[in-house]
Amino acid sequence: MTTEHLPEHPDFLWRNPDPKSSYDAVIVGGGGHGLATAYYLAKNHGMTNIAILEKGWLAGGNMARNTTIIRSNYLWDESAAIYEHALKLWEILPEELEYDFLFSQRGVMNLAHTLGDVRESVRRVGANKLNGVDAEWLDPQQVKELCPILNINDNIRYPVMGATYQPRAGIAKHDHVAWAFARKCDELGVDIIQNCEVTGFLKDGNKVVGVKTTRGTIHTEKVGLCAAGHSSVLAEMAGFRLPIQSHPLQALVSELHEPVHPTVVMSNHVHVYVSQAHKGELVMGAGVDSYNGYGQRGSFHVIEHQMAAAVELFPIFARAHVLRTWGGIVDTTLDASPIVGTTPVENMFVNCGWGTGGFKGTPAAGLTFAHTIATGTPHKLNKPFALERFETGALIDEHGAAAVAH
Amino acid sequence: MADTAALENSKKIQTLRKSPASLLRTAFEAGSVAGTVELREVPFLTMAGLRVDPAGEAGERLGAVTGGLPSASGEVLSSGDTAVLWLGPAEFLLVAPAESHESLGGELPRALIAALADGQGQVVDLSANRTTLELTGPRASAVLEKGCALDLHPRVFKPGTALSTEIGGIPAILWKTAEETYRIFPRASFAEFLGRWLLDAMREYASTEVP
Amino acid sequence: MLLISCPNCGPRDETEFHYGGQAHVAYPENPAELTDREWAEYLFYRDNTKGAFAERWLHSTGCRQWFNMLRDTVTYDIQAIYQMGQLRPATGPTAPTVTSPVSPEGAIK
Repeated sequence: MTTEHLPEHPDFLWRNPDPKSSYDAVIVGGGGHGLATAYYLAKNHGMTNIAILEKGWLAGGNMARNTTIIRSNYLWDESAAIYEHALKLWEILPEELEYDFLFSQRGVMNLAHTLGDVRESVRRVGANKLNGVDAEWLDPQQVKELCPILNINDNIRYPVMGATYQPRAGIAKHDHVAWAFARKCDELGVDIIQNCEVTGFLKDGNKVVGVKTTRGTIHTEKVGLCAAGHSSVLAEMAGFRLPIQSHPLQALVSELHEPVHPTVVMSNHVHVYVSQAHKGELVMGAGVDSYNGYGQRGSFHVIEHQMAAAVELFPIFARAHVLRTWGGIVDTTLDASPIVGTTPVENMFVNCGWGTGGFKGTPAAGLTFAHTIATGTPHKLNKPFALERFETGALIDEHGAAAVAH
Repeated sequence: MADTAALENSKKIQTLRKSPASLLRTAFEAGSVAGTVELREVPFLTMAGLRVDPAGEAGERLGAVTGGLPSASGEVLSSGDTAVLWLGPAEFLLVAPAESHESLGGELPRALIAALADGQGQVVDLSANRTTLELTGPRASAVLEKGCALDLHPRVFKPGTALSTEIGGIPAILWKTAEETYRIFPRASFAEFLGRWLLDAMREYASTEVP
Repeated sequence: MLLISCPNCGPRDETEFHYGGQAHVAYPENPAELTDREWAEYLFYRDNTKGAFAERWLHSTGCRQWFNMLRDTVTYDIQAIYQMGQLRPATGPTAPTVTSPVSPEGAIK
């Protein structure tokens, strides 16, 4: 074998620099949120002397493990505002980042299986419309027309009694999203530093002044934490607590199939959500495992339960085979809403608690978090999502509304 | 003790009541494979939930009526046709024939309530809470193994043992009453589901063996 | 799936249990005297340890009793199981596993 027969090595989309000794700002976590934050810091705030520190490889955590659903049909005004802004950004990002990351607005359906679901869903459609979010209520027949493979018989355990539908919602190709952001960040001068784990923080009094890493100490004026499931670990290093619990969240794909599933179907009640990816695999997410876990794996019965629900709703899936299952580490809060804002440590900012819904929020998380880091004050969209809400009691309880499954 | 007219009336009412798995009676008959694995409902057994510290005074008084209280997981204490199953360190289930119920002229659970008196504890008539499915035959354990994670091997799970566990994904109490006989207590609302689940699990044994 | 040794019933599948979160969180002695910050800590803040974590579990399908467990949140290894009210045992993989006093096997021997 000679080297001339090997295919040409692909061009790298970003450099792989060594860390400098100091930056104006350091973002901890090279997933979607970290990349988006760095991108908007550079683009909107002119902060280009910044670094993203990633302990593993770029976008190898939850960004590589989610089911890529994008929607904004949340109940409460605060959530609808930030997720709808995210959706609007998703709509322009392929052009802005000059990268077609296969954002497909094929619509998302949230099924209602009980009278309680129906009431809650119709209420949510009303709330969405008032917030300018496209939302419709579908009866079972309309559900069937949009997604013919769904079983709408009323003699199943969880019959389909209707669904909310958001036509502008959809899916995107998660790794391409990360690469799109990474390439732009790199072009704008951001250092993306992989294999660089944060091991501690340098503080001057209550002010953070640097980051200790496995690749040396880095001085910085500002630190933004975008570490999802590991946020609590970093906060502990920095000397404060977060109201976060990290849980396993599992997902799986089938082998490749001809296109059979035209939209995205979610069922909060039975904890399953399904779409068919561009290549043809069925992508399904499960419910959160009950226990705390950093193991990136969960218990098999959760998957079994999810499969049972999926096969009942989509009888043709009974003959599909599970190809791969995996787990991520989701950072959950008690009100199922994120935390984006300042921390008790001066010049340290936190973006976490997106739980099972971080992917869809990526652009808005990045935009508002970058604003907060650059100006030291919250953007109007992330102001309600401050850490202080757990003290004031101004919680944004999305549990019952929409945030159970993502 | 009981008013005779009231008792007669009560007995008449009993003839009208339906057990939780009664809908499946013919299905159980059709699905049973004689000599291999058979399923039936044993309806309306008298059941009483006892919550008491077995070592305390009230526990001793209740034990005197029941013939003792079991002391560990799995243990069943039988006295005549009445059995007491261990559910927890201070929780027990008494199971007796249908006729033992006071509405049919028996003494339960009245005798237990009287024994507890004002002692610390609780006696609750749970006769309508669960029904009883009886699975028998040489294949009974193979049927259960399809949906029960307990070690049902005869070397481990012996007659006279009862455990609160999951069967077919639902909570149930499994009591091995004889070498090839199991009594399963699902809650009433799960009875039909579990009945159908067991029928499905039994189905393969109705077909002739492929040589 | 975790295989959990209930102190009363012996080893059973995780599906028979319910998770109860961090153990050893005492109810405040004088809740009315807490500041908003302290009350928030009690209501919403729990440790989110990466490593050995003391947590509560309920054997809901079995004996319906709560107990404590020391479990590694990375490897999911169960390091110790101990009664409610007992102090947390020593941390680390060398901590002895409390053997269940009664197993389905033991109960009938």
